[in-house]
Amino acid sequence: MTFDDKLTLARTRRQLFRDCGVGVGKMALATLLGEQAFGARHHPAKIEHVIYLFMAGGPSHLEMLDYKPELVKWDAKPTPDSMLKGKRFAFMDSFAKETPKLLGTRRKFTQHGRNGTWFSDLLPHMAGVADDVTVLQGVSTENFNHGPAKLFSNTGSFRPGRPAIGSWVTYGIGSESKDMPGYVVLQSGPRGPRGGASLWGSGFLPTAYQGIPFLSVGDPILDLSTPKGVGNEEQRQTLDAIRDLNKVRYEATADEEILTRISQYEMAYRMQSSGPELIDLSKESDATKALYGVEAGKPSYANNCLLARRLVERGVRFVQLYHTDWDHHDDITKPLDKVSREIDQPTAALITDLKQRGLLDKTLVIWGGEFGRTPMGEVREKGKIGRNHHIDAYSLVMAGGGINHGITVGGTDELGFSPSEQIEVHDVHATILHLLGINHLKLTYRFQGRDFRLTDIKGRLIDKLLA
Amino acid sequence: MLGILPTLHAQDAAFFESKVQPLLRANCLACHSEKNLTSGLSLETRESITKGGNRGPAVKTGNPAQSLMIEAVKHTGALKMPPGQRLKDEQIAVLEEWVKRGLPMPAALLKSKRPGADHWAFQAPKKATLPAVQQASWVRNPIDHFILAKIESAKLKPSAEAGRATLLRRVSLDLIGLPPTPMELEEFLNDQRPQAYEKAVDRLLASPHYGERWARVWLDIARYADSDGYTIDAPREIWMYRDWVINALNQDMPFDQFVIEQLAGDLLPNPTKAQLIATGFHRNTPSNFEGGIDFEQYRVEAVADRVQTTGAAFLGLTLGCARCHDHKYDPISQREFYQFFAFLNNVDEVDREADRREFNKPFLALGNEEEMKRYNAWEAQLQTLEMELTQYREKNALAGLQDPAALERQRGIDAHRRRMPKVQRTLIMRELPKPRQSYIHLGGDFTRRGSNVEPGVPAVLPPLAKKDRAPNRLDLAEWLVAKNHPLTSRVTVNRAWQKFFGKGIVDTENDFGSVGDKPTHPELLDWLAMEFMDRRWSQKALHKVIVMSATYRQSSEGRADVKAADPENRMLARQNRLRLEAELVRDSALVACGLFSAKVGGPSVYPPLPAGANTVTQVKREWKTSTGPDRYRRGLYTYFQRSAPHPGLILFDAPDATVTCTRRIRSNSPLQALTLLNDEAFFEFAQAFAKKLAEDKDTTDEARIRKGYMLTLNRQPSSMEAARVSKLLAAQRDAKRDETAAWTAVSRVLLNLDEFMTRE
Repeated sequence: MTFDDKLTLARTRRQLFRDCGVGVGKMALATLLGEQAFGARHHPAKIEHVIYLFMAGGPSHLEMLDYKPELVKWDAKPTPDSMLKGKRFAFMDSFAKETPKLLGTRRKFTQHGRNGTWFSDLLPHMAGVADDVTVLQGVSTENFNHGPAKLFSNTGSFRPGRPAIGSWVTYGIGSESKDMPGYVVLQSGPRGPRGGASLWGSGFLPTAYQGIPFLSVGDPILDLSTPKGVGNEEQRQTLDAIRDLNKVRYEATADEEILTRISQYEMAYRMQSSGPELIDLSKESDATKALYGVEAGKPSYANNCLLARRLVERGVRFVQLYHTDWDHHDDITKPLDKVSREIDQPTAALITDLKQRGLLDKTLVIWGGEFGRTPMGEVREKGKIGRNHHIDAYSLVMAGGGINHGITVGGTDELGFSPSEQIEVHDVHATILHLLGINHLKLTYRFQGRDFRLTDIKGRLIDKLLA
Repeated sequence: MLGILPTLHAQDAAFFESKVQPLLRANCLACHSEKNLTSGLSLETRESITKGGNRGPAVKTGNPAQSLMIEAVKHTGALKMPPGQRLKDEQIAVLEEWVKRGLPMPAALLKSKRPGADHWAFQAPKKATLPAVQQASWVRNPIDHFILAKIESAKLKPSAEAGRATLLRRVSLDLIGLPPTPMELEEFLNDQRPQAYEKAVDRLLASPHYGERWARVWLDIARYADSDGYTIDAPREIWMYRDWVINALNQDMPFDQFVIEQLAGDLLPNPTKAQLIATGFHRNTPSNFEGGIDFEQYRVEAVADRVQTTGAAFLGLTLGCARCHDHKYDPISQREFYQFFAFLNNVDEVDREADRREFNKPFLALGNEEEMKRYNAWEAQLQTLEMELTQYREKNALAGLQDPAALERQRGIDAHRRRMPKVQRTLIMRELPKPRQSYIHLGGDFTRRGSNVEPGVPAVLPPLAKKDRAPNRLDLAEWLVAKNHPLTSRVTVNRAWQKFFGKGIVDTENDFGSVGDKPTHPELLDWLAMEFMDRRWSQKALHKVIVMSATYRQSSEGRADVKAADPENRMLARQNRLRLEAELVRDSALVACGLFSAKVGGPSVYPPLPAGANTVTQVKREWKTSTGPDRYRRGLYTYFQRSAPHPGLILFDAPDATVTCTRRIRSNSPLQALTLLNDEAFFEFAQAFAKKLAEDKDTTDEARIRKGYMLTLNRQPSSMEAARVSKLLAAQRDAKRDETAAWTAVSRVLLNLDEFMTRE
C-alpha cells in the first residue's frame, strides 16, 4: 500500500470517528478553509483598515499645525507663573533653574482648503490635501517621557505589558489578509522608536495578535526566505511531507490543534511568496513613485507609506509606521525642517493615492506623535532654542472614512498651552475602534482578575470628528 | 477598645435611629458603605468611622472640632461633603451632637463586617478523607481518588496508561525539559520491573537539568530579563539570580525558605552571598533611565509591580486592582494595598535626578579576592569623595549649586565612578536605614498624597506574627509561608498542577478571589496544599506525587465520550497534549541533532539572531553571536533584551518580562512555522541532524528514517509514516540533490512535525 492509499484509509476511519458523534475541529477546519473566525462587530463598521503614522519624539504642534499669533507677540517674555504652578514637566531641573521664556514660532502659517485650515510652511504638501484631512487640536496625554508616552499612545497605559491598539483590533475583528499578518509595523528614521517591541506587543493577548515588524533590509519578515541552498520546489516538497505526516498524527490523536498547525504552515508558505512581492516596488508606476518621492533601493518613510498602501490593498487590518527624530529640545529650526521634509510629501501622497484608488473611504489615516512641545522655549546650548515635551495639548491629523473632512476639531488657548476642550488619547482610541465597528467598552479581556480594555476606565467618542 | 464601650442608653439609641441614621442613609451611605468604600471610607459602622478612609479617621470621638467628617460637611476645609450640596445647619448640628456623644450606635453596627471574608480561598485548607471509588485497581495514589471519583460520577472511565515510550518522553519533558536520549529510552523499555517508572522519575528529579526546567517556570513569575526595559533598555547583570534559582531547585530548597530568601534574604541574620543574590527576585522590575524623567515615579512603579507580583505569585490575588481604588470584588481596600506597598517601599533605590549615576543600585559585587580588594578600595574612595562634597556644601551653603569648587569635586566623583574596577555585580535588595514614609496614593497617583500608612497585611488574611518592632519585609515573607496561611500553598500546588496538565485545578491561577474560577477539585487542591506543607515544602516531592499518579500517566488521545461529556477535559479522564514552551522547542532540537551543550548556569548567551531582529529599538545593541558550545545552550540562557526579545522565544509565547507571568499562552502561528522552517539556527540543527543520520555508512534508508524518528519523536515510525518520508527522499534524489541535502530535507520535516513540538 502506498502512503496515499493509507492516508485515504485513515481518512475513512476519521469519517467513522466523526460520525460517532465527535464534531471534529470545526473552528480549526474553518481556519484551514480560510473562513473568517471573527467578524462579529458591535455595529456596522465605517472603515476596514487603519494606517497610523507615528511621529516618534513629539512633533511641535506650535511649529506645524496650531497657529498661535498671540504667542508670537509674547515671544521672549518670561512664562507667567500660572502656567508653571503645580505642573510637572520632563527635565524639570532645566525649568527650575530659571523661569523659561515663551517662544513664538518663526514659521509662516497660511490657511488652506474650503474651511481655511492652518498649516505652516513645513507642511506644503499636507496643506494641499487640506480638504481631505481633519486636524485635532488640544489632544492631551498623561506622561511626559518618551517611552511611557509612546506606550500610552499605543496601549492606553504608560506601563509596559498592555496590548497595542493594533493587537486589540485584530483580536477583536481579525484581518482580511490571507497571506500577511493582520498587524504590521514599519519603521524609518535614524533609530528605532523608544520602547521597541513593547509598543506593538500583544501584552496579555495571545502573541498571534502582536504587531509584526516588516524590515527595510533583508527579509521583510524575519525568516521569510528559505535557507540558503533550499529552492522553492524543495520547500514545497518539505511542506507537503510535514502536512501529510501531521495529518497522520491528527488521525491518531483527534487533536484539532494539529489542523491549525497545518493551516499555519500553509499560511507561512503563502507569506513566503507574497512577502517579496509586497516589498517589490518596481511594478509601481513612475507617477506613483514620484508622488510619494520614493527613491529606488533606499529605505525611507516614503517607501513605507507606499508599502502601507500595498498592505492595505492586501487586506491587512492595521499598519503602523514609525518615523523617529522629532525630539527637538536643542533646536526647533533646521532639524525640524529636515524631518518635516521627510514626511510631508509622502504623507500627503498616501492620502491622495488611497483616495484615487477608492481605498480612502475604508481606511483611517492618523498622523501624530506621543505629545507636543511647550510654548516655552528651552535653551540647552547657547545660541540655539528648542522646546520641551508638552502633554496638555498637541495636534493630530486624520483622514479617511467615517470622519468629517476639511475641519479642525478641538482647540487650544491663545498660547497653545491648554486645550479649550478635552480630547484625550483614550478618546482617540475609542473613536478609532468605533469607526472599525467596535464598541470600546465591550472589547475586553480578562487578565489578573480584571476586564481590561484599550481605553482603561475612560474614552469618549469624539463626536465632532464623526461624519 | 470596642469591649469597653458603654452600653447604649435608650435616648442615645433613639437619637441615632431617628436623627442620625436617616441623615446618613440619605446623604452619605450611597458612597461610604462597607460595600462601596469610596475613598476607603465606610460610615456604616462605628469601627469603620473611627478607622476612617484614605484621608485618615473620619471622626475623633467626642471632639467634633477635630473630626474630618464635621469639617467636610461644614465646607470649611478643602474637602466638601456631600459633593455638590451643603447639608442644612440643623443636620450638621445633629452630626456634631452625635460625635460629641461619642458616636453611639446599636451593637449590630459597632464592628465592621468584611463582606467576602467567607470566600473559600480565605479559609484554611483541610485534608478531606479520600472519596470512595469503584475502579479501585486504577488508583495509584491519593490524587487518583479525587480524580476518579469525579470521573465516575460523570459515568466516564479514565483513559488507559500512555504507551511506555510516550510516558518517558512526557515525564522527561515535564521534569527536565528535555526529551529522553535513545539510550535512556531503550533502558526504560527493557526494564520490565514494576518500579521502572519510579526509577526513571527519581533519575529525572536528580538531574541538574531539573533545576533549569523549573527555574524557567519561576523566572516567568520573576519577570526575569537581562536588560532594563523602557526606553534605554541597557544591559543589566542579574544572571546570578537566575543561577541561584536553578541551584535552589536542584537542591530542593524547601519552598518556604525559597520564598523567604528571595523576598527578604538581605534581612536574615548575617545573610550569605547566596541569600543576597536571591533578593534579585524583586529587582527584576523594568527600570527607566530616560533623560528628563522623575525617578520617583518609576521607583513607585517598581514597588507597585512588586506588590502585584507578590499578590499573583503567592497569594493568587489581584492586589493590583486596589491600587487606584478599593478592590471591586475582593475584600482588599486601597489602604491595604498601600500597607502592603509599605513593606516593599524601603529599598535603597534611586528616587531623584541627583542620584542618576547610581542607577539600578543596590548591587552586590562578587569577584575573586584580588578583584574584591580593588573594588572595595574603589568604593571606600568613592564614599570619601562624596562625604567631602557634602561637607563642602554644608560649609559653603551660600555658594549655590553652580559653585565652581563644588562642581569640580562633582566632576572628580564622576571620573572616579567611571574608573570602577571590573567586577561581577548583581542587583539585590538592601533596606534603607530609615524606612520611607508610605502613604495612600489618591486615585493611584503618587503625587496626590493620602493619609500615611504603615506596613500591614489585608485584614481578611491571617495576622502577621507579633514582634516587638515595626514589621518589615522579612515578616511579610514569613507570613506568606506561615502554616496557617490559606493561600500560598494552594496557589503554588495549583501552578505545579497547571504545568503537568495544562490547566490548574483553579483555572484562574493568578486569581483565587471571588471572581476567579472555583476549583474543579477543591478537596484535591487542599490535599495537595497540605501534603506540600507536610512534606516540608519540598517541590520535588510535590512533583513526584503528581507524576506518579495514574491520572498523570493516562494517554492523551482524544476520546469521543470525554469530548461529549467534558469538552474542556476538566475532569481529566485523559491527559492533555501540550505544545512545548519556546525554550523547550529549541532544547529538543538541540538534543535531537546532537549539538546540545549541557552546561548549567553562567552569563546569558547569544545564539544566532535573524538579521534585522534588533533594529527596532531606540539604542542599537550589538548582538555578538556566541561561538563554540555557547551557541548551543538551552533556551533559558538566551540573552533577553526587553525591547527586542529573541524572536525564537517571543514567537513561541515566552513572556515579554514586563510584568509577572503565571501562565503562558500556547499560540499556533505562521511565524512559528517560518522560524522552524527557515531560521538560521534551526537550519543548522537540521544539517547537523542530517549528518548524524548519515553517520553509519552501511545502514539502509529505512534504518536511518527509524533513527530519525527515535531521535525526534522517541518512537518508531509506522509503516505509513516511513513510506511518506521515503517518498520525500525519492523526490529529492529525483531532483538530483546530493545525499546531504536530501537528508537535510528529511531532518527539516522531522523537526517541524507537530508531534516534535508537543508533549503528548
